[in-house]
Amino acid sequence: MTAVRSSTPAISLSRTPSPGRTVETGWHRTLRRFRRNPLSVLGALIVAFFVVVALLAPFLAHPTERNPFMIPHSGYASDPHPPGPGHPFGTTEEQFDLYYGVIWGTRTAFVVALSVVATAVAIALVLGSVSGYYGGPLDELVMRVTDIFLAFPGLILAVVIVAVLGQSVRNAVIAIAVVEWPTYTRLLRGEFLRVRDMEYVQAARALGSGDLHIIARHVIPNTIYPMLILASLNMGGIVITFAALSFLGLGAPIGYAGWGQLISLSHNWIVGTAGDPFTFWYTLIVPGTAIFLFVLGWNLLGDAFRDVFDPRLQGSR
Amino acid sequence: MTGFILRRLLLLPFVALGVSVLIFSLLQFLTPAMRASLYIHDPKQLNALPDIIRKYHLDQPAYVQYWDWLTQVAHGDLGWSETAREPVADAIRGYFPATLELGVYSFACILALGIWLGTQSAVHKDRLLDHLSRFTSISGASLPTFVWGLLLLMVFYGHFGWFPPDRLSLAAGLFVRAPGFHPYTGLITIDALLNGQWWIFWDALRHLVLPVATLTYFLTAVLVRITRSSMLETLRTDYVRTARAKGLAQRTVVDKHARRNALIPVITLAGLLFVGLLSGVVITETVFNYPGIGRWGVNASQQLDIPAVTGFALIFSGLLVLGNLCADVLYALVDPRIRLQ
Amino acid sequence: MAAWFLVGVLLVLTSGAGTRATGQSVKNPDTFVTLRYGDPESLDPAYQYDTASYEVVYPNVYETLIGYNGSVLSTYVPRLATEVPSLANGLISKDGLTYTFPIRPGVKFHDGTTMTPEDVRYSTLRFMLQDRDGGPSWLLLSPLVGKESTRDGDKIVVTYAEAAKTVTVQGNNVVFHLAHPYGAFLSIVAAWSFVMPKAWAAAHGDWDGSAGTWQKFNNPKLQDRYAFDHMNGTGPFKLVSWDRQAKEVDLARHDAYWRAPARLSRVVIRDVAEFTNRRLQLQQGDADLIEVDRSDQSKVMGMTDVTIRDDLPRLLIQVLHFNFKIDPTANPDIGSGKLDGSGIPPDFFSDVHVRKAFAYAFDYGTFIRDAYRGKAIQPSGPIIQGLLGYDPSLPKYTFDKNKAAAEFKEAWGGRVWSTGFKFTLTFNTGNTARQIGAQVIKDAVESLNPKFKVDIRNLQWSSFLQLTNAHKGTLYALGWAVDYPDPDDFAQPFLSSKGDYPQRNSYNNPEADRLIKEAAVSSDPAKRKQLYKELTQIAYNDVPSIWAAQPTAFKVMRSWVRGWYWNTVYGGEDYYPLAKQ
Repeated sequence: MTAVRSSTPAISLSRTPSPGRTVETGWHRTLRRFRRNPLSVLGALIVAFFVVVALLAPFLAHPTERNPFMIPHSGYASDPHPPGPGHPFGTTEEQFDLYYGVIWGTRTAFVVALSVVATAVAIALVLGSVSGYYGGPLDELVMRVTDIFLAFPGLILAVVIVAVLGQSVRNAVIAIAVVEWPTYTRLLRGEFLRVRDMEYVQAARALGSGDLHIIARHVIPNTIYPMLILASLNMGGIVITFAALSFLGLGAPIGYAGWGQLISLSHNWIVGTAGDPFTFWYTLIVPGTAIFLFVLGWNLLGDAFRDVFDPRLQGSR
Repeated sequence: MTGFILRRLLLLPFVALGVSVLIFSLLQFLTPAMRASLYIHDPKQLNALPDIIRKYHLDQPAYVQYWDWLTQVAHGDLGWSETAREPVADAIRGYFPATLELGVYSFACILALGIWLGTQSAVHKDRLLDHLSRFTSISGASLPTFVWGLLLLMVFYGHFGWFPPDRLSLAAGLFVRAPGFHPYTGLITIDALLNGQWWIFWDALRHLVLPVATLTYFLTAVLVRITRSSMLETLRTDYVRTARAKGLAQRTVVDKHARRNALIPVITLAGLLFVGLLSGVVITETVFNYPGIGRWGVNASQQLDIPAVTGFALIFSGLLVLGNLCADVLYALVDPRIRLQ
Repeated sequence: MAAWFLVGVLLVLTSGAGTRATGQSVKNPDTFVTLRYGDPESLDPAYQYDTASYEVVYPNVYETLIGYNGSVLSTYVPRLATEVPSLANGLISKDGLTYTFPIRPGVKFHDGTTMTPEDVRYSTLRFMLQDRDGGPSWLLLSPLVGKESTRDGDKIVVTYAEAAKTVTVQGNNVVFHLAHPYGAFLSIVAAWSFVMPKAWAAAHGDWDGSAGTWQKFNNPKLQDRYAFDHMNGTGPFKLVSWDRQAKEVDLARHDAYWRAPARLSRVVIRDVAEFTNRRLQLQQGDADLIEVDRSDQSKVMGMTDVTIRDDLPRLLIQVLHFNFKIDPTANPDIGSGKLDGSGIPPDFFSDVHVRKAFAYAFDYGTFIRDAYRGKAIQPSGPIIQGLLGYDPSLPKYTFDKNKAAAEFKEAWGGRVWSTGFKFTLTFNTGNTARQIGAQVIKDAVESLNPKFKVDIRNLQWSSFLQLTNAHKGTLYALGWAVDYPDPDDFAQPFLSSKGDYPQRNSYNNPEADRLIKEAAVSSDPAKRKQLYKELTQIAYNDVPSIWAAQPTAFKVMRSWVRGWYWNTVYGGEDYYPLAKQ
């Protein structure tokens, strides 16, 4: 069986080496391109840092409550305390430890963002593939439904869903996933449309391969890269939306380790006391920096992925 | 072209219907007691709960309530909003101009800044300016709006006293609401000029600076990115290479040839950006206590004010469809290669 | 080029801005600006039942027959009546059933018409017969007609004759005929007998006062009446506008006020949800008085040219309620639903030892210190300080872990201590004090025995309402604020079997009912005092709730505010005596 040339012009991962040159596989080229851009490297480093923090959370900050996501608090006094012994980053209103909150908040950020992306991708895989591959009235229906969801202002939809279902992390994830799935579905559908008519897919069909088999083995793997770009660019946005929900009192419960929660606990204190507007700077700066870096890292990484994997910029560098 | 426009306009009622169905279907998750929370605010009123449920028909199944609402809308009545304490239509009519004003000024700033930065970034690709502008715009998208907004407020109002929150100062507000002032457009900066009240114009502008700055910083990132990549793509095309080969100055190449073509996807995006802006003002309005439709929408949602949320969603979805349509029409006008099927 | 233009614009914008100087001269000397959070629900005096509306209505735009003299709550001064009825001057009949109020002549409404006794009669009947769901009508209906509502379900159960005979005009007097003697009646009149003109109301689509039509105007929706957003009273200020989008109420001085006109010419009350905005506007002098939560107090201390008045006594109580009979269906808060260490049975709190244990386990001192910065007192029961019958020497629970453990060991035949329990405590979001209270009790109880597990859950209001209505709450936090400053207003909702909370929590004590009834009808203060002391003792013995705190209030205003005084009954400020200099 002659190798069917992968005619995806987008990602030339397996280009036959031209004679006279050292063999440089596609991955190496991708990595080199990636490394050349300092911003991409920065993004990757930042994300890697957060991954490590999230994984090591129980060691970096020992849980003391039954639910490790609940931040321990020493006392109940209203006024936050500045960084000091026992509280390296200080405390928030009602004495929740900022250090613990930021560390475990990293886990929360990943859990929430990955859950949302996973849910959206799952829905998109089903709906997008069916819609893009089969086309016709089914496609029309799915597109109209996404039209309706996309016509709804995102934050409002999320707020309504959480208001209806009740305040909890799980419901916030559901709400954000409901907001995000149309974008993923549309993207996947677009990719399916593009790939569906490719030679190798038609060839596979001609050979008698089943639809599901074709979708799974040929179509989906080649649509991963746009999804990867979208997901990595989306990770930051999801965390910001989650923080916004917490700010509006509709995200995680009070005392839960989430950056948005910490910022919402700080928002009354950023004006400081009468004499010094920066008295409680740490209540905002600490979680704010965490969320900023996290989103920045993913944005840079997503940008880098786009530069590296974007088909339109291929071959023109 | 007209056929295309008409077909897209047909989408409006469909989307409106779909959005309203979506909201009312969420009602299935609400018990009558939860819906009654819109009318009961104090423990003292708890005893009236069953009466409230009966009075406002909160125990009827969602589809019955939807049908009631639909017939009401067919008669031109969008219902009453408990959170706004006025009819939904009045609330929208009142809040929308404020958001529009904020949106228009922000949009202008975003366009100006985004296109300029994106172009410069592309032209000086991979050099310091490119990295700096990309970093600045990306960092703008990385910080939650409310954090940024509060910081701005603290520094520029709390410390310096230059740019206050709200929409107008006390005296200006009283003047605007008095019978002598004619609200021609609902946009106070324009109305002030039309009424010949320069001090109100400056007052309104002062109050707009911080919210606009907040929104601009946040949304410029997107525009810079798109402009940059679009510009990059254009700069590599054959005709630009030809222009360069002909010996034309960089400036001419960029301004005369590249920019016009690079702006095509930007125009499409700008249309969507505008509508995105309108929905993104939600948090900004809350932080600056700006009386716009975003702030009202969030309050209504939090308190489960269904007629308000539905009315709000209808207007929004209508705007989005129209925005998309405008962008597509513009796209077709600007790019002769596009033939609208 | 564009950049220079921008710089120019910015220069112009910042030049006109107010600089923040110390020793600022008074801004807008004739206009008073108050910033609150929460805007009025309705400006109709018969509809409104929230503090934001109450501030505008009373005593600034509408007035009552008798009023308060400054902060004093125990005696009254005549307002729209010329004398305060009492047994001594014969205006209260010996049997306590008839109250005669001579009406002041020559009082002008805001529209220029003169107030007559018929207006008083009309306003009272309108207040009672409008009776919207969840409204204040019961306050007059109950003592006058003897019923809590004009309706039972959908049916109207009160006739016009029944209501009309309770309020009659006799010459220049308005006479109230009570259904049964009620010692607190005068305090209700002082806070709730608002007067509006009948002709104006009728001319704008409201009830015209006739017998046959009142049912059509019963139980309106918010927007149904003209009086919802239009006001016409006798008070020192009249309504200029209520801009519901700017969330601002504008009042202007009523120059034909029956006393000397107010010193301020305008009052602006605005709803600003963000504390940071409120504080910044106070700092700049754009606001004269702002509402501040106790937890935010440290951020306003030491502000230049700002006065803080603290330790203002409030008739408000914060309570943790035990639900004696929890609904177990689909209830995530009771765990397994059995006394097996991972749940609680539905009647868990019906054992008095359990309740006493929790009452001993609550760290009142820390709670008051941290939730209220020490500015609260621990009540012994619902009869709080400032009410007749309050007695600080009566017993109350103290934070005592040993006693708590002892009570737990006796609870449910000792099984509680050996098997342990697990349940979730709920409170509604947005109230830091309640959150702290929940944490306090959780920490203390869990420290007694490793088998005791208490989780806390905060809910938004709609979910919380759903929960309490369905009797699914376990131990939950809710309070009570004053309607009228009489002990009956507090005793009923907490101790009477027909009261709001006992009904919800399935608590009842016939002895408490008897005492409440007796104290309500008596007009002898000494006797009532004794009866309320006995009720407090019952509250201590039965401990149907943990009486957590009675907080005080504090007000934050610019130093140029003059003439301010405190009165716990008002929803907001009395703007009549205020001035700025």
